[in-house]
Amino acid sequence: MSVAGFIRDILPLLWSGLISGCLYGVGALGLVMVFKSSRVVNFSHGNLACLGAFVVYGFSSGSLLSLSWGSAVALALGIAAAIAVMSYALIAPIVFKSDLASTIATLGVGLILQGAVQLVFGADIVNLDLPLPRFSFSLGAIRVSSYDLAVLVVTLAIVGGLFVIIERTKLGVAFRAVSTNPFACEVCGLNLRSVHLFSWLAGAVLGLVAALLIVPTTFLSSTTVPSFMLQAFTAAVVGGFSSLPGAAVGGVLVGIAMNLFSFYVSPEFMNTFLLGVILLTLNFFPNGLLERAIGGRV
Amino acid sequence: MAVSDLAHASKTGVSARGGHVDIARLSVLALVVALSLLPLLAGGFLLYSLSLCFANALAVLSVSMLVRYGGEVSIGHSFFVAFGAYAVAIVEHRLGLSIAASLPLATLLGAAAGFVFAFPSRRLSGIYLAVATMALALALPEILIGFEKFTGGFEGLYIAQDLIPGIPKALQRYYVALAVLGLVCLALAHFRRSAQGLALLMAQAQPRAAEAIGITRSWARVSIFTLSAAVAALAGALTGFASSTVSPNSFTFFSGVFLLVGSVVSLNGLSLPAALVGGAFITLVPTYLAQAGDWVPILYGVALVVVTLVANAGDLRRFLPRGRGR
Repeated sequence: MSVAGFIRDILPLLWSGLISGCLYGVGALGLVMVFKSSRVVNFSHGNLACLGAFVVYGFSSGSLLSLSWGSAVALALGIAAAIAVMSYALIAPIVFKSDLASTIATLGVGLILQGAVQLVFGADIVNLDLPLPRFSFSLGAIRVSSYDLAVLVVTLAIVGGLFVIIERTKLGVAFRAVSTNPFACEVCGLNLRSVHLFSWLAGAVLGLVAALLIVPTTFLSSTTVPSFMLQAFTAAVVGGFSSLPGAAVGGVLVGIAMNLFSFYVSPEFMNTFLLGVILLTLNFFPNGLLERAIGGRV
Repeated sequence: MAVSDLAHASKTGVSARGGHVDIARLSVLALVVALSLLPLLAGGFLLYSLSLCFANALAVLSVSMLVRYGGEVSIGHSFFVAFGAYAVAIVEHRLGLSIAASLPLATLLGAAAGFVFAFPSRRLSGIYLAVATMALALALPEILIGFEKFTGGFEGLYIAQDLIPGIPKALQRYYVALAVLGLVCLALAHFRRSAQGLALLMAQAQPRAAEAIGITRSWARVSIFTLSAAVAALAGALTGFASSTVSPNSFTFFSGVFLLVGSVVSLNGLSLPAALVGGAFITLVPTYLAQAGDWVPILYGVALVVVTLVANAGDLRRFLPRGRGR
């Protein structure tokens, strides 16, 4: 492999890794928000996002209704939010008692959602594109498409919005307080439930947005989105699982690493590669790759 | 912590039960006798599905061990089950040896794989392990299909050799699976009273006290995971033997989740009846509800949520009036 060839390959690889990494990061943010506030690993995250994406497909393609894309997304957001509230309500009685039991219960919710998707939409493989004008331009060796720009804009808007909420609003202060010391919060009269609910709702929205943006690059089926969430889980682990900036940066790192691995080593062992990344991170950087760089701050 | 409560409860249960122990023992004995005599009456398909039940019961037991002794959840034990099943198939294909040789080998290899997997997260809370097992479950189909040279790719491999030539195949499968399941249950009952078993329970219930007498939490974590992976690989070897074939179709992402469902439904019990309940639930439901197809995950999900809530919520009324429990 020549040096010139390497440089020609590497820039587009890094760029597309960055784009998909943004989405892994958005997915991971949802997981980390839920984990930080309620100490539950939400295994239904991917299944809920999958259901939401299918709702958008069903309502905009004519298989259930033929609404415009925008109203289908609004409906899907509403449904996802309602399901998030219901699944939190389901585990609410045990959420303070046992992290592990609540985590198992989220798996149950995930199975129910998975079954619901299969019942309503079958095992079909469908395409779900974004309603974007198609254009692209070159930036040096990199080809930038309208899809790339959409992903960047949406990610920045979402991450920015989330950080404004967490840094500037009362709800955000409550969220930070609860994730630092829930007991002290309760003593001060803070309602832990409303903070939990906020994070579960935010998680559902983030998951759905990530799913809608990732689906155009592959296709939509009852298994693709739940397994896409493995990338989000890996990003969360790389970021230390309880750091929001860690999750975002972890997503980008995982996206780039996956792209390099699939180009230079093998595209058939992506999940095995992610397993390796998780195990190595847990062994050598149990608190995340970025622990020293940014510390444990929200 | 619910799990330490469980450990405590099971301890007091053993000493306080007194006179009931004999009745419990007798009924387990009666169950074993009934199951051993069953082939005289039943045949064919029922025996075949019961052999698979026994193998799955053992796999469920391996997940329950991890929950009981380690306080940890795994949704990737299908990896170790597949590991055991493929070990039997590959040993037969490459070396021409029967399950007499491959069963112990599969168990040892499973233990080694479990150790390698559990080691990195030894110092972290069980939640990290659960996430890592999810990656394990998702990586499994890829590995089975990718290493086609050894695993036979999509088609998988056949297991044809008998343990004891001359005895009908259906009976061999049935009795081997039943015998191994019974022996493991006996071994677990013994383990519960042994110094090692108590040390693991102590490391979980009272980490500091355990550390004071030289049992570190990370040692306890890694060793129980290793044991559990060995049992899972043993279960896999039985599954392969009982179904005469291994293929990636039987080891999808969901098979790992279903093992956890079986474990939760059996209340993470380590006795023979509990294991049979869990094994039967995950074997017979898909077989007899085959036409219901997509309802199976929903049924499993509901079972998982309901059993977890009932087992952990205790007095549910406490949470209703103000919606705040602590």
